Amino acid sequence: MGSDFTQQIRDKAKELLEKGTVECVIGYETGSDGFSARPAFIYEPAEVERLVFDNTCSHNLVKYLLNKKGKPTAVIVKGCDSRSLNLLLSEKQIDRDNIFIIGVVCPGVVEWGWNNRSDQLQIRCNWCRQHNPVIYDFLVGEPVTEGPPDDFADIAAMETKSTEEREAFWREQAEHCVRCYACRQACPGCYCIDCFVEQLDPEWVGIRIAPEENLMWNTIRAFHLAGRCISCNECERVCPVNIPLSLLNRRIEREVLGLFDYRAGMSEDAVAPLITFMKDEKLGIGE
Amino acid sequence: MSVDNGPLIIGFLCNWCSYAGADMAGTSRAAYPANIRIIRVPCSGRVDPLLIVKCFEEGADAVLVAGCHPGDCHYNEGNYYSRRRFALLRALLDFMGIEKERFQVEWVSASEGKRFAKIVTKFTEEMIERGSRKAS
Amino acid sequence: MSRIGVFVCHCGTNIGGVVNVPEVVEAARHMPLVAYADANKYTCSEVGQASIRDAIREQRLDRVVIASCSPRMHENTFRRTVAAAGLNPYLLEISNIREHCSWVHSDSKDATAKAIDLVRMAVAKVARHESLLPKQVGLTKRALIIGGGITGIQAALDIASAGHEVVLVEKEPSIGGRMSQLDKTFPTLDCSACILTPKMVDVAQHPNITLLTYSEVKEVRGFVGNFEVDILKKAKMVDYVKCTGCGTCWQACPERIPSEFDMGLGSRPAIYIPFAQAVPNKPVIDIANCRYEKYLKWKETEEGPEPPQCRICEGVCPTEAIDRSQKDEIITEKFGAVVVTTGFKTFDHSVYGEYGGGRYPDVISSLELERLMSAAGPTGGEVLRPSDGSHPKNVVFIQCVGSRDDKVGRPYCSKVCCMYTAKHAIMLREHDHEVQCYVFYIDVRAGGKDFEEFARRAQDETGALYLRGRVSQIYQEGKNLKVLGEDSLIGRPVEIEADLVVLATGMEPSDNADLIAQKLNISYNTYNFLIEAHPKLRPVETQTDGIFVAGTCVGPRDIPDCVAHGGAAAAKVVALLSQDSLTTDPLTSIVDPMKCVGCFACKEVCPFNAIDEQVTRDKRTIASINESLCKGCGLCVVACRPGAVNLRGFTSQQLLSEVLTLVRG
Repeated sequence: MGSDFTQQIRDKAKELLEKGTVECVIGYETGSDGFSARPAFIYEPAEVERLVFDNTCSHNLVKYLLNKKGKPTAVIVKGCDSRSLNLLLSEKQIDRDNIFIIGVVCPGVVEWGWNNRSDQLQIRCNWCRQHNPVIYDFLVGEPVTEGPPDDFADIAAMETKSTEEREAFWREQAEHCVRCYACRQACPGCYCIDCFVEQLDPEWVGIRIAPEENLMWNTIRAFHLAGRCISCNECERVCPVNIPLSLLNRRIEREVLGLFDYRAGMSEDAVAPLITFMKDEKLGIGE
Repeated sequence: MSVDNGPLIIGFLCNWCSYAGADMAGTSRAAYPANIRIIRVPCSGRVDPLLIVKCFEEGADAVLVAGCHPGDCHYNEGNYYSRRRFALLRALLDFMGIEKERFQVEWVSASEGKRFAKIVTKFTEEMIERGSRKAS
Repeated sequence: MSRIGVFVCHCGTNIGGVVNVPEVVEAARHMPLVAYADANKYTCSEVGQASIRDAIREQRLDRVVIASCSPRMHENTFRRTVAAAGLNPYLLEISNIREHCSWVHSDSKDATAKAIDLVRMAVAKVARHESLLPKQVGLTKRALIIGGGITGIQAALDIASAGHEVVLVEKEPSIGGRMSQLDKTFPTLDCSACILTPKMVDVAQHPNITLLTYSEVKEVRGFVGNFEVDILKKAKMVDYVKCTGCGTCWQACPERIPSEFDMGLGSRPAIYIPFAQAVPNKPVIDIANCRYEKYLKWKETEEGPEPPQCRICEGVCPTEAIDRSQKDEIITEKFGAVVVTTGFKTFDHSVYGEYGGGRYPDVISSLELERLMSAAGPTGGEVLRPSDGSHPKNVVFIQCVGSRDDKVGRPYCSKVCCMYTAKHAIMLREHDHEVQCYVFYIDVRAGGKDFEEFARRAQDETGALYLRGRVSQIYQEGKNLKVLGEDSLIGRPVEIEADLVVLATGMEPSDNADLIAQKLNISYNTYNFLIEAHPKLRPVETQTDGIFVAGTCVGPRDIPDCVAHGGAAAAKVVALLSQDSLTTDPLTSIVDPMKCVGCFACKEVCPFNAIDEQVTRDKRTIASINESLCKGCGLCVVACRPGAVNLRGFTSQQLLSEVLTLVRG
């Protein structure tokens, strides 16, 4: 897979740059540890040989498009990443006309860290039902059949705990949190100029690193992604203290799926569930 | 907190229906426990989840949001949005250890003064039974 | 630093009898930023208000909290009080310690503690209040009326007579609407045309009214006082300056098309006026049916057989008024107010299989009967059976066809059918003394001035037989119709041999009422009737300021109600247009352009289309609020993740201050 995908991506990137279709191709290259992929920004046709695609290509490169507004850019997306493209298109953050999408049928990505490789798939790949990109201009790989619907077993397991246990669990997580905001920086859906957490007036979250403030941050971070999270799980991957953020995201995702039959980022003109409504729906609120 | 005995309940009431309903409870002298503190908002759709989470993180025992009945919103649609938003928020808070019973959303019209008193009474009693969040 | 004054009201014993007011005042004195606190026996009294004004001046207070009754009670009173002392009226916050405290709590200690909390919250909030100034916006002193039926005519005449310009848009070639199709009107039996036509002429001749017939509203932009409306003027193919309305053309035209005005019972030419008293009394060419226009269309492709050329009208017109170069045209006009009077159509009874599903020619609708009765109708006023032109002797009326019937999705009562059927029974008997009428009804609803007497007259004087019950089947037998029904009062089946069956078809909104409502951003119900701002107290207003509704587009009603409704809408429009500028409530949303990311979630949720797109100097597309449209609901604020939108009077800072004051104590 790897070398074939890599070659196709290099060829396409070369063509796009030579023709001047795009100014830049955002893809992956091998990092300085010699095996793990890191984002690469290719501006010259001669440089395309740097591009690779393998099962360490974890980053959601769509986030970088936010810095390329108004500039024709190509981006390499896996299935999950492609959903964030739709999200940003529907939220008018990027311009479809300026983007060339190289979609890759994702074989799954493995756990890795600095100088630390494993063959184990990342947890997001376990619940992934979007190996095929949902939007692309050029597709690398043969579309695969997606698995059966997600059973959200991780969420169900958490829910077997009592409320007190859950409160204690999250309080402990909050005690670890150092509010580095890496989760936010990695998230394609987090693009506010002024994040609520850093606003001083209103001061929603106090500056002290304390469990209450950290919980406020983590709760609202997850809620701001309600109906928008596309499950790339980059937030959790980059968390330096290993807070299981996917549990929060996926708890809401399950609710959104159940109540509104909605999955974020499946089309570029989708309307997110919290900015629309149906008059006669029963949601267990005020009934 | 100056509620010496019993839970602190914060109520966000929409100006047009529920706040007026609470006024109606007053004019008809429909008594209820004094634990609730009411904040007036134009519409239940103005109640930001940030405010609710903030209430809980700062130690409030319970939050009540009340708005016009669906279909009766003074702004036509506001409560339809809040209904969706709070359905999700309630699930998330419960998942994070704030029991969904502590966050209640009700539709109260301007004429339902007695019902408002009943809702608050029941809610307060439930919260007394559950005990303070800080104590737990 | 702010200097906040707190005034706690005893409200006699209403508050003071439960809440320890001196204790609340003492507590208030120690709250942050509070410079002064005092109590009043009755704050709303002149003495109480004077003491606040004096304190503001003497203590140099710059913000005021009044702890008293509900803000829904006296907020405006107290805004005027503080304004009289030179403060901005929006630097006031009311703490509701009566309805929300003393009246619902009996324990003095608890109530006092709560009152102190409520005052503290108000103090925290008022500290974040800002001076706000209402904005003045200009307005265009013109009104647009959509629909030229009796309601629209009345509204147009009333507004125009008050001295304002009116544009009346009507989609048909003539104004007059449904009323012009009627023969007589209940309960007075005066001739519909005789009372309507003079009003139509008044419209045409009024110096303040511009009549745009054969025209439709395409798009509406703007807000109260400042609407901009695109109006489509369909090509009439006749130059109305040259045309004298002599009628030579429509008499000469060889084409025959079923007449819409006569409900298809008669025919009209392709160049036509819908009826003799039409206003304007000048014809239009029906392009779809004109022979020459068909020929021109054929010439574009030359497919199929060549249709005949005609152009007879052009040949006979003495003033050369036929102008085939006319094209559909869209004009844009400005208005300060809009009145929607798009009226009704009758229910299509063909969905009723038991009544023949529209297959039997002698089962007709009540509006068809009106045309048959009319002296200007297709039969010259003789009621003749559509099938064979004979005089019907046994006539069966069936009530509630498309009314009060869940089965066809029309559960509402159409209000006029009982009365017009009584009229029909009386009139038929007047036309022909041998006629026997049978009326199948559910109830006779005759609520209205002289209505009950009129309905009785139909039964007592004309011998119409009223049978309480539904008709289960109608079928053709020979030349006549067999009507099978039930008289539920005696519990027996009834069988009547009828020459003619008249269905009292109910009212439903005109076609495209929903589309017009969407263009105007007003609401409509499941039947497409438009929804008024309040069913009782604001019957002609809508949720969108400056847009008014009247007549049968709102719900079924009779002619006098429509006239009254049209007049009511006119009064509202006149009141609006008689102002020199409009004052907007300053409690609206605002956008911080530095924080807006341009996702337009706010625009998606705004119920009032109050969010516009705006391009900044650094080329970012961001949201901006149209303060004239914004009603201050705050939905946009919550939809905005980056916190770029805020709501004046209920800012995030203010609400958060209230929460924090409370929880942190």
